[in-house]
Amino acid sequence: MRTSRRVAGAAALAAVALVLLAGPALAQKSGGVINVMLREDLSQGFAIHESPTISVVWPASPCLNNLVFFDPAKPVESLDTIVGELAEKWSWQDGYRNLVFFLRKGVKWHDGQPFTSKDVKHTFDVVRAAPDAPAKLRLNPRKDWYANIEAIEAPDPHTVVFRLKRPQPSLLLMLASGYSPVYAAHVNPADYRAKCVGTGPFKLKEWKKGEYVEYVKNPDYFVPGRPYLDGLKYIMIVERGTRTAALQSGQLDVAMPGETSKAAAEQLKNAVPQLVVTPVATSVTDNIIMNAKKPPFDNPKVRLAVSYAIDRRALIAAVHQGAGVPGAAMMPRPYGVWGLAEKDLATLPGYGKPADMKARAKKLLAEVGYGPDKPLRVEMATRAIAIYVDMASFVINELKQVGIEATLKQVETAQWHPMATRGDYQIGANLTGLGVDDPDANFYENYACGSPRNYSLYCNEHVMKLFEQQSVELDPKKRLTMVVNIQKKLEEDAARPILDMRLDYFTHWPHVKGLVPHHNIYNFGRMQNVWRDR
Amino acid sequence: MKTYIAHRLGIGVLTLFGMSIVIFLLLRLAPGDIVEALFSAGGYVNPEERVAILRELGLDKPLPAQYAEWMGQVFRGDLGKSYRYDVPAWEVIRPLVPVTLELAILSMVVAVALGVPTGVVSAVRQDTGLDYALRVVSLAGLSMPSFWLGMVIILGLVAWLGWIPPVTYVSPWENFWLHLVQFMLPALAVGYRSSALIMRITRSSVLEVLREDYVRTARAKGQTDRVVIWRHALKNAILPVITVIGIEFAFLIGGLVVTETVFNLPGVARFLVQAILWRDFPIVQNLVLFTAVIVISVNLAVDMLYGVLDPRVRYGS
Repeated sequence: MRTSRRVAGAAALAAVALVLLAGPALAQKSGGVINVMLREDLSQGFAIHESPTISVVWPASPCLNNLVFFDPAKPVESLDTIVGELAEKWSWQDGYRNLVFFLRKGVKWHDGQPFTSKDVKHTFDVVRAAPDAPAKLRLNPRKDWYANIEAIEAPDPHTVVFRLKRPQPSLLLMLASGYSPVYAAHVNPADYRAKCVGTGPFKLKEWKKGEYVEYVKNPDYFVPGRPYLDGLKYIMIVERGTRTAALQSGQLDVAMPGETSKAAAEQLKNAVPQLVVTPVATSVTDNIIMNAKKPPFDNPKVRLAVSYAIDRRALIAAVHQGAGVPGAAMMPRPYGVWGLAEKDLATLPGYGKPADMKARAKKLLAEVGYGPDKPLRVEMATRAIAIYVDMASFVINELKQVGIEATLKQVETAQWHPMATRGDYQIGANLTGLGVDDPDANFYENYACGSPRNYSLYCNEHVMKLFEQQSVELDPKKRLTMVVNIQKKLEEDAARPILDMRLDYFTHWPHVKGLVPHHNIYNFGRMQNVWRDR
Repeated sequence: MKTYIAHRLGIGVLTLFGMSIVIFLLLRLAPGDIVEALFSAGGYVNPEERVAILRELGLDKPLPAQYAEWMGQVFRGDLGKSYRYDVPAWEVIRPLVPVTLELAILSMVVAVALGVPTGVVSAVRQDTGLDYALRVVSLAGLSMPSFWLGMVIILGLVAWLGWIPPVTYVSPWENFWLHLVQFMLPALAVGYRSSALIMRITRSSVLEVLREDYVRTARAKGQTDRVVIWRHALKNAILPVITVIGIEFAFLIGGLVVTETVFNLPGVARFLVQAILWRDFPIVQNLVLFTAVIVISVNLAVDMLYGVLDPRVRYGS
């Protein structure tokens, strides 16, 4: 009975979503092409499952579809804003152990083949590296998202069942991420590095390496009347000044998510007042990684001293000119739903009065034998990119005020993540993007023992149990409380002190309609509702 | 003459062979490889996957075997497969070459058109106000990096006109005038700097020649200034200028990185930097080898030009 109610609920949601997707068609105009900004070439082509970068997700999204997706019209993403794409409706069964998707009928791949449940099973068997998976991904950065899946079954062409080892409400959120498209079973996953066979609103026309990606409208798209546009062109411009000039001059209609700083947006607005600028969260945090396996940061007091020393609000003001928000592991409110309230933040290291915080840091350092006569000398590593170096320079200055003398070591991009994964550093200034604002995705990826993305090598068995408990909790309110407590614990342990989350001033020309930037750069690139008003 | 050319070509082939070894080794001596670049883009490293990819790309083989494989491919006219794009390297490189060649040639046309006449005028009007003014302009050209000038051009255009040249490549067959506009602005930015060098060399060379006996004789015979300067003096002063033009052109082929980046032109230099960052060896090796071929060819052409322009220059039989 409860299940059928959920099915009915999901069906109602899907119906509402379809209405929203189909929308009031009177005002919208069909036709035209828009030019979209791309800051670099697609590092893995259209193979989203092999990539963790917005430079792939953003230009590849119009070609593909998910089972479910975050409602394009709603900037804040949560379980409540998930709508169906290739799944018409879905249902949790057996106490959140089985997730059943009922697929849309009559959907075709861009090469004319029919879309069926086999495609879904193929995709997620490959991504979770199932023992009988039909192929293997060259890189598989999100395999852990699907570690709880026991089996995927396709009982008929339009039904798929995800059988889980234990209840996991988060699975639906991870499936709704822009990182979770469905691949065609008849196409080798490796081929997505060079071409795109999707079901999405736009078909790939040409990828000119190092220049642009061009799409044309998919006339067989399963949402009636969509997409509005005849085409899309993602133009790659490496130089930031030229990108801004291209947007200002109208050669680009839309910026790339995460690419417009507050200063650039102000400059653009001054030059072209009619430009539409929307401040949104980037889902990218500035954070400090400290190698918990090597001295001196194997000592929790030293890690905590570092966290106390850094004045978060001063960093936001100085490094981001105010274009950032303080927070912990999850996206701060109101940009996300799991973030800490202001009163909780105020109790954490680095959020109190700066003088008090620095005094606490000095006291902690003194307890472990460091002081004015014996300063702690460390090497601060960071990626040799301006946004990293700016943050690292600020942090070095803050650390100096409590008696930690850090020298800056700039690491070339190609070396940065391998170095961090190997733990071949003492302390580092880092940026972390969250593919989806979900506790499972974030905690298991960035804080779990043994995770390759847990650069601090922080490992706390008690915290691992807390991760597990929140993951199986079905009551949303109880789960929120647990997630809040975990975040506080992680900050108190200085596992990976979060400094702030950056804001993006997403910019587009006023003739671009129907494009609502989300508080997560990865999840609004489908473009099916976007239209051109001229 | 034929023997000389054959000799130079032989040296050229040897140079290319040496270059190929240097490129090959330098790339592999640099820290990191494509797998690290891929993993860095992935934000993590999986040791098992790393080994599998190295094997897939043939990077687990000994260096001599890798080098032999590359050379074998070059001789077969197959440049291998781009690690990053997973497509034949030639497919990636082919469209880049004409863009860079065109930009380099146009830049040199601008440089010569500006540098030679101003150099001559500056020499003829030595120590006059005009000479000083031209020297200041040339000094400014030498002092301003072309990428800075390019950025100033872009920012100035967008600030004053709300317009910049196209940011996607426009082929001449598609729209000739737009194509010309797209290339002329970067050519001006690059050509101005080169013109300053050419102007200064031309000036000093012409000044030297103007003091020669045969110039005095020409004047004594009643030749007009125009004939003396442009027919006798410049012709004899042009050899050092040609040398500089050759060197500048060769430099431009690989040195247009920032200009191509600022003007968003899909050329060899910009792509080369990206390929180096990605440790995309097949692309880097072949692009550097291509640049070396151009440099050697231009040097040979310059040497041949000496004989054409100055009958006193004779090549060994």
